[in-house]
Amino acid sequence: MSQLKILILFFIVLFVFFCSLVLGPKIIMPGALDDVEREILFSIRLPRVLVAFLMGTALGASGAVLQGILRNPLADPYVLGISSGASLAAALGIISGMIFLGSVTTPVLAFIGAIATGGIVGVMGIKRGGFWPERLLLAGVGMSFLCSALLMLIMSLSTDEGMRRATLWIFGDLSMSDWQRIPYGSALVLIGVVLSLSRAKALNALILGDELAHSLGFAPQRERFILFISVGLMTAASVSLGGMIGFIGLLMPHIMRFFFGADNRILIPASALGGGALLCTADLVSRTVLPPMELPAGVVTAIIGAPYFLYLLRRKDALSI
Amino acid sequence: MKYYIIIIFLIVGAGYPAFGEPASPPKRIVSLAPSTTEILFALGLGDNIVGVTSFCDYPQAAKEKPKIGGMSNPSLESVILLKPDLVVMTTDGNPKESKERLSALKIATYVFTARRIAELPQAIREMGVSLGVPERAEALARGIESALRKRTAWDIMGRGSNSAIRKEPVLEESNRGRSETHKKVLFIVWPDPLIVAGPGSAMDDAITLLGYENIAKEAKITYPKYSLEEVIRQSPDIIAIGKGSGMDMRAVSRGILQRMSSVPAVKNGAVCYMSDSLYRLGPRIVYGIEELAECLNSRS
Repeated sequence: MSQLKILILFFIVLFVFFCSLVLGPKIIMPGALDDVEREILFSIRLPRVLVAFLMGTALGASGAVLQGILRNPLADPYVLGISSGASLAAALGIISGMIFLGSVTTPVLAFIGAIATGGIVGVMGIKRGGFWPERLLLAGVGMSFLCSALLMLIMSLSTDEGMRRATLWIFGDLSMSDWQRIPYGSALVLIGVVLSLSRAKALNALILGDELAHSLGFAPQRERFILFISVGLMTAASVSLGGMIGFIGLLMPHIMRFFFGADNRILIPASALGGGALLCTADLVSRTVLPPMELPAGVVTAIIGAPYFLYLLRRKDALSI
Repeated sequence: MKYYIIIIFLIVGAGYPAFGEPASPPKRIVSLAPSTTEILFALGLGDNIVGVTSFCDYPQAAKEKPKIGGMSNPSLESVILLKPDLVVMTTDGNPKESKERLSALKIATYVFTARRIAELPQAIREMGVSLGVPERAEALARGIESALRKRTAWDIMGRGSNSAIRKEPVLEESNRGRSETHKKVLFIVWPDPLIVAGPGSAMDDAITLLGYENIAKEAKITYPKYSLEEVIRQSPDIIAIGKGSGMDMRAVSRGILQRMSSVPAVKNGAVCYMSDSLYRLGPRIVYGIEELAECLNSRS
């Protein structure tokens, strides 16, 4: 039965992928393409949809893993402060106009910010040779506050123009997706997903508690550490590719748990695929609803997803909360 | 009889401030926007200015004036400490509450309401009258109008009236400032993310006045985040890139221009880098239009 569901999910993802390529402010049918349309399809829409898919995958998988590591249904990839650090670094770059690497400057800065913050949080999570979820959570929240405060400081000191640009990036900006970013993004997300999938059984055990996990043959601290690295990589990749897209990390795992159960070996890939599909859809909506303007993708994601989540919540048996 | 005359003079004299117009220019003026600062300097009131925003950088003398904060967040405390006779603000950039708060503190304010190029000369005239320098304002306004008339289809659009906005059919009647083929222009305010000048912006006004077509004129807001797909579809003939403060626009725009490499503007090298003269609705708008005209006419 669950195999069938996975197959259905897979087909939904393919369908969404196809729609995102074809639909948009103007519909492009793959059959009859003239030069302009071919260019739009291959150099603008295709990279954009791929980036959206990568980001959604990274966020969905990270959310599932993190909710397991922290044993907390409200955990989301941004609770570790990684996104705040990334936003701070990106905003600094955008507002001060650093462009030493051309158009990949902002993603690179965001990635550095993410890894740096993730690193600090990770180090703070260690005590007595162990890697503790409560410490991780608190360190993440603390770093989040610090980075947000610094970010708000920078933005209040900048011109309105600089602030608007930084804000548009932070709200989720897929408009600058190009082929340059895809190799790095794919590599990072792939590493993260493979890493977390390889540890999915351990994650199942961790959820039961450290003693039980230990008695089942896993080294809880080591597993947690490896999973944390995978979450860090995926979240850093996602935020650096296109800013902060909320909702997916937090709620996609819950939605998928309803359909597929809580076994992480299935939940992680399901959340990843679901996240990818949702973000592709949200991006499609954001560029189609008020043409030629583009809305921030993060906003559309939450507007689409949150009501659905609330609806599921009303059905008492739906979610694991 | 004498007493009646004296009493009448006293009443009239006491009531004069209630007329709301200073008899002579205010001695201490605070300006809450770079554009109004420039206009005040152009009206010869530079010495009367006691406070400007931190973004007021033209003319040179403005940089040396005491600062009272930003445009969207001026520090009322700093303004009050300067004991101004008049605070000049705009509807386009200053928070609306400032006027009420300043009035509550019994500080006189003048609100500059022009947002479009068409409204500028009249707004300058009105401000000149309110500030007690009507002749200089008239001269400044005339100067702007004649400069505009030289380059564009200004006359046909009607001087200073709001009806000047969006009168495409009327442009047909004039040959001045009219490009031969009504070419398509895109004015990029910032390349990454792509923000362009849409309807209601000074750049859009300037493009239309010069007889060209702004491809972003159907957008819903003044400075929209624009779809790259749409730019490629619209194939603009000329691209103008505005200047971000302190940025090397050539370097910043390289990426976006590469992605647009199939549009005529990029293929033919019809891309010009402008200064920020069109960003402020003040006396320098004329230079901005000159610059834009230079850019568009030499590449069409």
